Amino acid sequence: MRVLAIHPEKCTGCLRCELACSYVQTGEFQPAKSVIRVSPFEGHTSYAPYTCTQCAEGWCMTACPVGAITINAAGAKDVLDDRCVGCKLCTIACPYGTMFYDPGTRKAFKCNLCGGAPACAEACPTAAITYEETWTGDWLGDFAHERTARILEIR
Amino acid sequence: MTPVTANAPKPSKTKKAPEPAVALPGGYAGKLLRVDLTTRKCWAEPWGSRMRELLGGAGLGAMLLYRETAKRGGKGNVAWDDPDNRLVLATGPLAGLPVWGTGGLTVCTIGAGTNGPTSTQANGFFGTNLKYSGWDAIVVQGQARDWVYLYINDDTVELRDAKFLVGKDTWETQDALCRVTGLAGHQLSVYSIGPAGEHLVRFAAIQGDYGHVASKNGTGAVMGKKRLKAVAIVRGTKALRAVDPRGVLQAADDIAHDLRTDPSARSLYEYGTLPGVGNLSKLGVLPIRNYTTNLTANVPGADMADWEAPRLRANFDHRGHQCNACGMHHCHMSVIQKGAHKGRIVDEPEYEGWSGCGWQIGAVDRDGIAWLATECDRACVDVNEFGWITGWVMECMEKGYITRAQLGFDLTWGDIPGAGRLLRMISRREGFGAVLAEGVKRAAEQLGSPAKDCAVYIVKGATPRGHDHRGRWDEMLDTCTSSTATMETGNPVHPTEVGQPARINIFDGVQVAKNVAGLAGRRSFEDSLGICIFTTRTRLENVCRALGAATGWTFTVDEAIRFGRRTAAINRATALRCGHAGALEYPSVRYGSTPVDGPAKGQAVRDQWETMLDTWYAEVGYDRKTGKPWPKTLKALGLDWLARDLWGKKA
Repeated sequence: MRVLAIHPEKCTGCLRCELACSYVQTGEFQPAKSVIRVSPFEGHTSYAPYTCTQCAEGWCMTACPVGAITINAAGAKDVLDDRCVGCKLCTIACPYGTMFYDPGTRKAFKCNLCGGAPACAEACPTAAITYEETWTGDWLGDFAHERTARILEIR
Repeated sequence: MTPVTANAPKPSKTKKAPEPAVALPGGYAGKLLRVDLTTRKCWAEPWGSRMRELLGGAGLGAMLLYRETAKRGGKGNVAWDDPDNRLVLATGPLAGLPVWGTGGLTVCTIGAGTNGPTSTQANGFFGTNLKYSGWDAIVVQGQARDWVYLYINDDTVELRDAKFLVGKDTWETQDALCRVTGLAGHQLSVYSIGPAGEHLVRFAAIQGDYGHVASKNGTGAVMGKKRLKAVAIVRGTKALRAVDPRGVLQAADDIAHDLRTDPSARSLYEYGTLPGVGNLSKLGVLPIRNYTTNLTANVPGADMADWEAPRLRANFDHRGHQCNACGMHHCHMSVIQKGAHKGRIVDEPEYEGWSGCGWQIGAVDRDGIAWLATECDRACVDVNEFGWITGWVMECMEKGYITRAQLGFDLTWGDIPGAGRLLRMISRREGFGAVLAEGVKRAAEQLGSPAKDCAVYIVKGATPRGHDHRGRWDEMLDTCTSSTATMETGNPVHPTEVGQPARINIFDGVQVAKNVAGLAGRRSFEDSLGICIFTTRTRLENVCRALGAATGWTFTVDEAIRFGRRTAAINRATALRCGHAGALEYPSVRYGSTPVDGPAKGQAVRDQWETMLDTWYAEVGYDRKTGKPWPKTLKALGLDWLARDLWGKKA
């Protein structure tokens, strides 16, 4: 399957991904409704974009009481607006904090990989976000493991 | 302290006609945020009917200054420290859109350096956060009784107690505001002043988002006088609509392609302004030891191979730190790897940091310079004027014009710790620092000749950018004739697009003056859009296309140039009201001297200065004697009302 791979060492914090995401998802430029978010680290010397990893467990799907979260053709977990009742259980269930709730529409929303052509990867000027073929959606596990090992070693 | 919320227009006490209801063009948030610090009132002002005429940024600021800073009931203009002075923090129609470098902030005010109008630009995320909060610009007036900071979170606008921030430098201020709001990174854009602004240093700047500076003409002193410590804007939640979003994206892609591939922009794309040191040294334009030489070999320890851009950047552990939606590899955060400041996080200096905190003061220790340049940002001191004043003090001490007894310590060429000590003295007005805090011109005049004759400044009270303009006459002429205390026309970008020659003889005064006049307009236009001056180094046609797609207007290159010239004429009218007559449009003795060595050796700008002024005035259509734009010039720009203001019945 293809997933969004994040290369935080390349991110410059320009937030172009947030703009592109909100434009494709809402038709307007509104980063508040972007489902990819960029966070700073280490005294503003580092940034990292972060979005749904399309994790294998699919906690949001499991938690949804009305079956409003499904897997779309691109392999992404996607919210079916006409089924979502806005109970926010998925936002609590998601351990990664990448399920969002829109008080305007009273629906949950999340990364749906733009149906197979993710705008954030297209917009990123430094290739910090790439759309890649991978053997698992849980690429973050390896990254986290490697990072933790490195930090423990430094300490 | 009671929070103030601006959610309704202020009821007008005057008979001014209400703003007509017009359809909002795309790209705009739609409202100006008015803040009166004296009365602690904030209110929203719709301005839809004036958007096409004023655009935003420099254009909006110029008009607000002209309309609102005239002295009440008399002739003349309010001074920089008058509560009636306006501090305009404006962005523009492209800010927040996905064109590279669109976090733009343009600061317009009556500045402390020249006591005249200024327009100075910075970037980061100010414009983006402001627009997403629903505001196009902030217009500050009055003066607070106690220190406050302005907090903006969508429609919630509050003047908050800033006592806990007083004494903090600009980075500490941003850190503290992130802590109290619980926000991190670009979720909160903060522009603030450090100790130099609090102590009303005449060349204090406004610094924001860790390394972006609106540096010219003492804007930080204006903020300090108003006791406004900071402006903190939460990344708003509102949507920005473009009339033709695909058109904006296409224009953005074309601009990006041009910046990545055009030979004249490519080095800027890859390394920002770092290549400036090497390139300008080959033209005799790198200022070395306060204009006493133009040979890099005269600086002990200088090895120009170390100053090639890739090696300069590789000297540090570095990471990109770009402004809104920007794909340039320009702004960086660096970590110093060795020496006294090992481990310190610094903002990678721009060319002007390397020159002002380096070559101009005879220093080539790259780690030390990077530290000192960031200290300037943190203290909110303009790095250029700091360089001119420090180099001047160093030269004067060497020659015995300033003594150890006066300064309190010995300061010699290349002494970075000493320069750091001087920075602290200036930014807190301690000892001799109080004299230097008045800026190069006033300090030089206080000491008189022969010290005065060594100082680099413009008679108007401003100082140039970090160049040796004796090898770059166009910028010297531009800076001296400018109404905004810094260059107003700017450097040529695709000059043939506006009918100017691709190359001129740079030491032929007439050609130079014609070129400066012929290129006028572009820069004021760009500074009105909320976009970075570097990401507009493409064909103007591309920028106009982005503006058109955002707003829905058909905006041609001709209209853009005309708009810019209109803005310059309005600034000129305000400058004249501030008493900036033609007699002030001269370089100081040293600034206008003749280089004794290097590539521009023997080229005497002063010999041609009068001819250059005559030519420039005739070409831009201004009257040399009075400094006023001629009525026919103003009418051709559609400024009949200004012609009547300036010339009365003669118009």
